Amino acid sequence: MAGYALMLKHRTRAILWVLGAMLLIVFLVSLSIGQVTIPVIDLLSLFLNKLGLFSTYQPDAVHEVVLWSIRLPRLVMTVLIGAALALSGGALQGLFRNPLVEPGLIGVSSGASLAVVVLIVFGASFSLTRESISMSLLTPFFAFSGGLLATWGVMKIGDRVGRTNMAVLILGGVAINALAGALMGLVIFYADENQLRMFTFWTLGDLGGATWWSLLLAAPLLVLAIIALLSFQVPLNAIALGEAEAFHMGVHVERVKRSIIFFTALAVGVSVSLSGTIGFVGLVVPHLIRVLFQSDNRLVLPASLLGGPLLLLLADLAARTLVAPSELPIGVVTALVGAPFFIFLLVKTRNKTELTSP
Amino acid sequence: MIAAKNISLSIHGKKLLRDVTVDVLPGFFTAIAGPNGAGKTSLLKVLSHEHNRYQGHVSINGTGISKISIAELSKLRAVLPQNSNLQFAFSVLQIVEMGRHHHKSNQREQRAVLDEVMQLTGIAAWAQRDYLTLSGGEQQRVQLARVLAQVWQIKDHARYILLDEPTSSLDIAQQQVIFNLVKHACHRNIGVLAIVHDLNQVAQFADHLYFLKEGSVVAQGNTKEIFTKPIIEETFCCRVNVYHDPCTDCPYIVPDKTTLSSSLKTISV
Repeated sequence: MAGYALMLKHRTRAILWVLGAMLLIVFLVSLSIGQVTIPVIDLLSLFLNKLGLFSTYQPDAVHEVVLWSIRLPRLVMTVLIGAALALSGGALQGLFRNPLVEPGLIGVSSGASLAVVVLIVFGASFSLTRESISMSLLTPFFAFSGGLLATWGVMKIGDRVGRTNMAVLILGGVAINALAGALMGLVIFYADENQLRMFTFWTLGDLGGATWWSLLLAAPLLVLAIIALLSFQVPLNAIALGEAEAFHMGVHVERVKRSIIFFTALAVGVSVSLSGTIGFVGLVVPHLIRVLFQSDNRLVLPASLLGGPLLLLLADLAARTLVAPSELPIGVVTALVGAPFFIFLLVKTRNKTELTSP
Repeated sequence: MIAAKNISLSIHGKKLLRDVTVDVLPGFFTAIAGPNGAGKTSLLKVLSHEHNRYQGHVSINGTGISKISIAELSKLRAVLPQNSNLQFAFSVLQIVEMGRHHHKSNQREQRAVLDEVMQLTGIAAWAQRDYLTLSGGEQQRVQLARVLAQVWQIKDHARYILLDEPTSSLDIAQQQVIFNLVKHACHRNIGVLAIVHDLNQVAQFADHLYFLKEGSVVAQGNTKEIFTKPIIEETFCCRVNVYHDPCTDCPYIVPDKTTLSSSLKTISV
């Protein structure tokens, strides 16, 4: 038994190292590939040059602009969003003790989208354009508030004297999503041609809008949410046995619940404000880790943190290169790959998976 | 000991417990028995601090229960539910380990505790197995190991385990395994409080016994003294005969067949 305990620990560490290494490689490859290809060796030189370590190197001006102003902010954003979405999905699945939960299902994404759409349409009358700096500061705030409000509503619907009725909660999510969708349609009614086009991209996900400015407020918020969510590994393990059982084992269940809801709303809300809604990452990544390895949240959460960015970087790479020089919306790629894969997982595990209302 | 004094509890205007006083002594097996809806589970939830809006006072080892933090409380008492519904595939070791999350002992100590409880409950060989593939009886043994691990301390002050019908879905052999293990735990300065439906098991294992009916204690005391025909008949409104095992002198009950038809008539009315 002692041998097995040690093996578990080593295996967890090994999985995380391998995922980390894969993430690093895919990140470098993504930096290098695109409409302008920058050889990896040039990437290194550019980095060293920026650090003042390799001053004899004369960087290619085009490479430098592409790397610093376009590709790097985009990839940093992709990594942060992938991590935030996958980690949120993992934490919510653990909290609701249901492997089918994802941020979209409990209203976070649609609430955040609605708030952003409202900001874009009605912000125009306050001369706020999408490129302006005040807009890039306001958007995460709006998205977060909208996401939090929607999730809070869903939680309230599913709340049964302090305990959560899972079936009602998920149906509540469907209702809130429908309501947000309808309101969005109503707001879009007031949109002009240009804004309309933007929304299409918004609902399909778009990583192309990344600038260092847009990351200024969003990145610290995402990092904060990620760190906070990572701290719930042990309480989430206890909650896997049931909320009452977790309480008996010394977990402040209500406090944990509220914190996780708050930080997933923050993570997903801010992600939506940056890139629109990107589906399936939050659902598939933690699920995949459970199926491939194990369900212990001491692996699932950190592995989601690495696996989410890995998947999203790959999807983004495909979106940028498959129809080059044009670009596919990222949400289309994640759904095209994610949905069939998810169906496969469902069929494979359908005997074990049940919607329960404890 | 866990001392619950004059506990009254109402939920949604319904009185579930009326002025109940219960003591759980370390080193002893205390059983609660009574008809369905008597308030047994509510009482257990008061004692485990899951319910905290009641009248009366509960203390553990002399300290008021509401003055103890949830984390500290978890080292003093553990609860074994009827059954657990787990959605994710955890291994047996990972489940038992959950009981140790609040113990800040070093790794070697942790492992020693896990080893000991898993040996004791006879599940050491299953450490790597997926919990979801185990049978009901096996799962309950794993849960018992987790509960024991939670209150397994080298330092000796009294600890308690509360069990809510822990064997309700198990076969007779598995029931015996669970209760024998629980009884064995009493030797480690652990007090046991169990809700038990099977009166013959009450007679076999319990040192002290409380009969609960409509939220009140109708009889309490040494099991041998109060496990009698009149008290059981009054508690359950059902005719029984109490006999004694000629070998062990342990009492056992058999429902009185001659009154069966009349009780059925009452039900149909």
